[in-house]
Amino acid sequence: MLRSFAMALVSAGAIAFAGGAAAEEDTLKVGMSGGYFPFTFVEQDTLKGFEVDVMEAVAEEMGTEVEFVTANFSGLFGMLESGRIDTIANQITITEEREAKYAFTQPYVYDGAQVVVKKGNEAIGGVEDLRGKTVAVNLGSNYEQLLRELPYADEIDIRTYESNIEQDTALGRVDAFVMDRVSASQVIKEKPLPLALAGQPFSEIRNALPFRDTERDRALRDQVDAALSTLREDGTLAEISEHWFGTDITRP
Amino acid sequence: MSVLDFDYMLGLVPILLSYLPLTLGMAMAGMVLALALACGLAVIRVLRIPGLNGITLLFISFFRGTPLLVQLFLFYYGLPQVLSFLTQINGITATIMGLTLHFSAYMAESIRAAIVGVDRSQTEAALSIGMTNAQLMRRIVLPQATRVAVPTLMNYFIDMIKATSLAFTLGVTELMGATQKEAAGSFLYFEAFITVAVIYWGIVELLAWCQRRLEWRLNEAYRR
Repeated sequence: MLRSFAMALVSAGAIAFAGGAAAEEDTLKVGMSGGYFPFTFVEQDTLKGFEVDVMEAVAEEMGTEVEFVTANFSGLFGMLESGRIDTIANQITITEEREAKYAFTQPYVYDGAQVVVKKGNEAIGGVEDLRGKTVAVNLGSNYEQLLRELPYADEIDIRTYESNIEQDTALGRVDAFVMDRVSASQVIKEKPLPLALAGQPFSEIRNALPFRDTERDRALRDQVDAALSTLREDGTLAEISEHWFGTDITRP
Repeated sequence: MSVLDFDYMLGLVPILLSYLPLTLGMAMAGMVLALALACGLAVIRVLRIPGLNGITLLFISFFRGTPLLVQLFLFYYGLPQVLSFLTQINGITATIMGLTLHFSAYMAESIRAAIVGVDRSQTEAALSIGMTNAQLMRRIVLPQATRVAVPTLMNYFIDMIKATSLAFTLGVTELMGATQKEAAGSFLYFEAFITVAVIYWGIVELLAWCQRRLEWRLNEAYRR
């Protein structure tokens, strides 16, 4: 009994050590949730998505390796803060508060906030119909704030979720959810959930890669930014976007 | 809703099982360390060692009084902002540390109860025939206390296995993290989560069987 415990301890230690050794200096460590279709998700144990393709292209352009670190969304900014990753590729929207704290690259996705309802829900035809309704948003996303900035915000019951907002809307536990237009359309098109877009997008969103605001990290940001410019000019960004969305979301 | 997609579930099983060694490894490492720490804490409490007793009480009070998730966030994201060298701690180590500290607080109390539960007359008898304190512990008290403590300690181990599902918040892709990401790719939430539930359940059942065997052996002296 004791011996098998000891073996387990040693093997867990070995895993822990291997994990630590994998972090090398010249790799670009990119955090993402792995739970945001079609930007970052897993199929058959393989990490895929728009963000994965973009960051691989960026790393190739920079001549470095890229290492993806997946964690619950709520853990990502903590990992960035504590220096465990270099940046977050998870459709991070540029906001005033974030801009004051982080050094952002140029936006590489332009989008809008979209209300999504259960199919057949005629009561909600857009953001103006959310009065008195229950609306789900992802924890740590900026959609909660967008909703709170509405003049009738105090009449909306906003629920924050770690994940699965699409599922809870389809089940009717909440009246609607708010997400970016692009992935909302994608979810409706590809997945077997009874959902529908409600009205037009209600706010322009610009998404970029945040870096810590230190000298070293600003230099890294500049390198990544230059790589993004090159990829934009040679059409790689548009190509990746066409592949995942059938349209170019990397331009305003 | 459509019926269950069994092909998807079957395909998911081998993928999820490949994360099982990490889940079990973290739980076992946590259990070994927590058990060692808990024994120390329990002995301090039983013998009321001056000075240490107070610290132990504070330790148990804090780690029993705050949620494990809060403790994990504290170690992994909070402390490194104050003590920068702690950034070196990776998610797996932080999870094992969190499990160890959290569960040792609970286990110390159940081990203490088991030790205190051994009848006083036995202690007196042992001392009267000239045993030292160490001999008394090793030969008389601990064998009997172990028998009493095993069921509750196994309970904590089972709980610990399930508690590793919090590690994805620290960037450790274990069983639950892998499931969440697969579900995000397929949107087959029910299938994905029921598959992982059955896997956890199966492991715990296997452990319960081991526990019954272990208890049967420990009860040897009491069987007739």
